[in-house]
Amino acid sequence: MNESVCMRVCVFPGDSHVLFYLSDAVTQLLEHKEEYSQFGVSRYFAEYFSSVKNSNHVLFREFNYITATPHNRSSFIRVFWRCYRQIGKSGELLSVLEFRSLLQLLCPDFPVEMVQSTGRIVLMDDAVDCLMSFSDFIYAFQLQLYYREFLDSVLTIYQDLLAGKSPNTVIVPTSTSVELLPPVATEENDKERQQHDGVEASTLAECVDALCDRFKHSHPSRSSMTEILAEKDKICFYSFLMSLSKHGGVNQDIGALPSMAELLIDPEMDQELDKLVAQIAVSPGSNSSGSAVIGLKEQQRKASPRRNIHHRRKMEVESDGSTEETDSSEN
Amino acid sequence: MADKEKRRSGVAAPEMPEGKATKSDSDREFLSQAGVGELLRGAILKMVEARSDDPIGFLADHFCHLASMSDRGAGTAGCGDGDQLSNGPLSAGAREQQHLNRALWHLRLAHHSQRSAFSNNVRVAYDLLNLTGPGKHSGETPEGQEGSCTESPTGGGGGGGGEGEGGGVRGSLYTQTLQCLCSEGGVPASTSAPLLRRLHCHDHEAVPYDVFRHGVLTCAVFSDYIRQAQRLYAEVCCPDEGPASRALCLAVLGTLKEALETSQGCDATCCVNANTKANVCLEANVKAIRYLKASAKISPHKLAAAMSGAQTRGPGGNMDAKEFENAAADLFITRVKVVS
Repeated sequence: MNESVCMRVCVFPGDSHVLFYLSDAVTQLLEHKEEYSQFGVSRYFAEYFSSVKNSNHVLFREFNYITATPHNRSSFIRVFWRCYRQIGKSGELLSVLEFRSLLQLLCPDFPVEMVQSTGRIVLMDDAVDCLMSFSDFIYAFQLQLYYREFLDSVLTIYQDLLAGKSPNTVIVPTSTSVELLPPVATEENDKERQQHDGVEASTLAECVDALCDRFKHSHPSRSSMTEILAEKDKICFYSFLMSLSKHGGVNQDIGALPSMAELLIDPEMDQELDKLVAQIAVSPGSNSSGSAVIGLKEQQRKASPRRNIHHRRKMEVESDGSTEETDSSEN
Repeated sequence: MADKEKRRSGVAAPEMPEGKATKSDSDREFLSQAGVGELLRGAILKMVEARSDDPIGFLADHFCHLASMSDRGAGTAGCGDGDQLSNGPLSAGAREQQHLNRALWHLRLAHHSQRSAFSNNVRVAYDLLNLTGPGKHSGETPEGQEGSCTESPTGGGGGGGGEGEGGGVRGSLYTQTLQCLCSEGGVPASTSAPLLRRLHCHDHEAVPYDVFRHGVLTCAVFSDYIRQAQRLYAEVCCPDEGPASRALCLAVLGTLKEALETSQGCDATCCVNANTKANVCLEANVKAIRYLKASAKISPHKLAAAMSGAQTRGPGGNMDAKEFENAAADLFITRVKVVS
């Protein structure tokens, strides 16, 4: 029977990553035996999979987990948006490090490189210590997180093109071929000018198209990339990424965020927020959730070292709305 | 922090590192004690069987269902959309409702096109409802029975009736099941009423398995059919220009009718042929050819031809969505044989 199960699971659509989630669920269960098994293991699995379904499972998980599946990536982008939407509303501008702090509240080991790369997309590679608006940041962040591997490969191609190499040969980052370089005297000037202008958009389009053919991770739709690259004769890497991040089709494909016009509009959530704020104002000490099970979990959570995560009131209000689902994926 | 990160990344690794023999032993013990292996095996089997488009959602529902069943023993409330279960002994009505909910849950698990999974689930649902018969006060299924089991508890599956110990599902429960199936399938009560009249059994009757299966399957197919018909109407009518023209609708319905007649019309003759030759293989071939013919009749090409013909010489006026739905439903329902 075991064999037949294996065989048939292989036939099952692979992109849902069922086996990954099953194995993570068991690992989590073993890590927190006492806590999770007190309500029964089937209840635990029910909560785990409901949270995966509702995209709350990535909250407070490690970076490896967040990037493990496309669903996890888009869930994290959505959680980020839901938690910090208010910052966007207030119109505040933040620096790379401040955005990193916000991200680390949701994912303690979130690497700063990822945030820096996002900053480079928004600020077009110069003045990386400038301040950014929430909406600029989040769409660039979405692109960077969701298509991380693809962007890395495109950067390699881009750099090869800049250096005058044919990138369709095997991609090995460095190794300069001397004969291709222009005479030393004009080299510096020339290089600067080249980097400023970027590369031929049509050549980049061809290379990117070829890359899509052999790429095993997900990539933005070919049509949107072709569209962007067809608009200009010359393009530089970060302006290409900037256009991609603002492209409606790309955003729709990922499916985590609303369109740019609606990013900060969500009357339903506002209402909920007002209600919760009112509740907290009325009874500062009491717990807003009525069920005994949730109440119990709430206490456990407060006893955990992660309590400091909730020091921001905004955070607390927004994430508490989804306590039920997030608890099972917490550790 | 670094230490914490290390520990966290360790969590993500699916395999335990070596040199932790004692830990992995105790883990294994814990898993087997808690019955996790059995639980997951059952879940994966069900999932593969159902081939749901959304396996994660399927697993969430599946475990939620199992949890609410075991919660019942402990007297706590079910989860989310699950049925709320009270403490103490349940009244007969409440128990009946509970069995009905669980039976419906089983029937929802697999689409009817996944025929063997669907048949299994119909069997499980039938046995569940059968437990609610009169004089069955202690009617409780043993817990594990339907959760992980893929074979039908009373065996048989399909063949000769097998009314089980309850003597058959009560007619009233049978009717309720069919009503729920239709309304969950998005069919308005007014549309499904004529179908249910044809499938009707009296409330006091004991419904045998074959009739139950026929009723359930018919309702499942009917729900799909009506949804298709609604989509068909949406295709025919332009959303901006109000209701679709009567001529076009009649052309579409005519084509549909012709196709249905093809699929059924040859039925009699084919069967005769097959019987005289006693050739099962041939019968299957003839059946396949018949379905191909029928599907050719509703091919886009044929439909387009019929519609363009109708545009020039059909009757005037419009037809609204409800009228179209009723007409389409009527085509289906006249082909359902009356039970009892």
